[in-house]
Amino acid sequence: MEHTQQRVVHANVVFGNKSENELISKAKKGDKQAFRSLYDEHIGRVYALCYRLTGEKGMAEDASQEVFIQLWKKLGNFDGQSQFSTWLHSVTANITISYMRKQKGWVQRMFNLENSGINEMPAEENSTDVDLEALVIRLPERARMVFVLHALEGYRHEDIASMLNMAVGSSKAQFFRAKQLLKDFMGVDDE
Amino acid sequence: MSNFDDKLAQHISGISKEKQPERDLWRGIELGITSQQGDASQDDASSSTVTSKQWMAIAASVCLVIVLWFAAPFAFKAEESRSDGYALIDAMSMQQQQQVNSLLASYESTTALTEDWQEQLKELDDAADVIKAALKDDPDNSALIKMLHHVYQQQIALIERVHAPKWQQI
Repeated sequence: MEHTQQRVVHANVVFGNKSENELISKAKKGDKQAFRSLYDEHIGRVYALCYRLTGEKGMAEDASQEVFIQLWKKLGNFDGQSQFSTWLHSVTANITISYMRKQKGWVQRMFNLENSGINEMPAEENSTDVDLEALVIRLPERARMVFVLHALEGYRHEDIASMLNMAVGSSKAQFFRAKQLLKDFMGVDDE
Repeated sequence: MSNFDDKLAQHISGISKEKQPERDLWRGIELGITSQQGDASQDDASSSTVTSKQWMAIAASVCLVIVLWFAAPFAFKAEESRSDGYALIDAMSMQQQQQVNSLLASYESTTALTEDWQEQLKELDDAADVIKAALKDDPDNSALIKMLHHVYQQQIALIERVHAPKWQQI
């Protein structure tokens, strides 16, 4: 029975990949319906990453649209060597970061938003029922981006440093800062 | 590993990998990829189209400079009570309005990628009005002038982006 279940799971994965490969292949040839199916399949994860990186619903929606528009143009670059979802995730992170640079550049320079608002936030009750996503969105931009990429998406600090155009040490420092702030937000005392 | 790290790791493993957007994003994406297809199929024509657009832009800029050159002295005379600083703001606003109008005219037949771009344009207009109101009291405030300039740049970028997006490279 156990063996049968393992075979069924394995078969699902194989058929799932096969149908996704077919969709990718069709979309590469200009089939919009196939591309729509890929969109339906992946929009949840793409939007989640965009939202956690930008911290804003509107910006995350715009960035998600930009990701799929560029994906249509560059789908031919996907060589099938890695999982499509892994490749798409990396594309999403890079496009969103680039999009944020373009959108937020002047606003940040004018109003220096990086540190605004952190201290106004009340600490949560020290409980196990914590909405981590809501707390992550509260983090200042650079700390949030590093935290999302490292802790949630599994990127190495070396990769993050290159993506965000910062030193590896800065990435580690921002991650530490993010953890400290999350600790404050959760109302956890220093041990 | 500290207690907090353990707790954080638990929360991270419990966070949902997916999140659905509140509005339908497909329509904008479809418009975007259709516009890309259009661009690709008009490769031969595109060089002349771009050239003519560039010429139109240059011609519009030259006209604008000429108009401002002649209009500026009258504007200054008519508003003698205002300081030189605020006359500059007026000139900036007039130039911006003309640039926006000429851009909107050139994109008249192009479908916009988003539905709410006019709303966004109006919000930027409102922001510019607030800054201009502040500049009336303090016309030489360089931070406010810079801010107004940035808002105007955002308006131009918004109009261009929703009508003729320049897709980034992956």
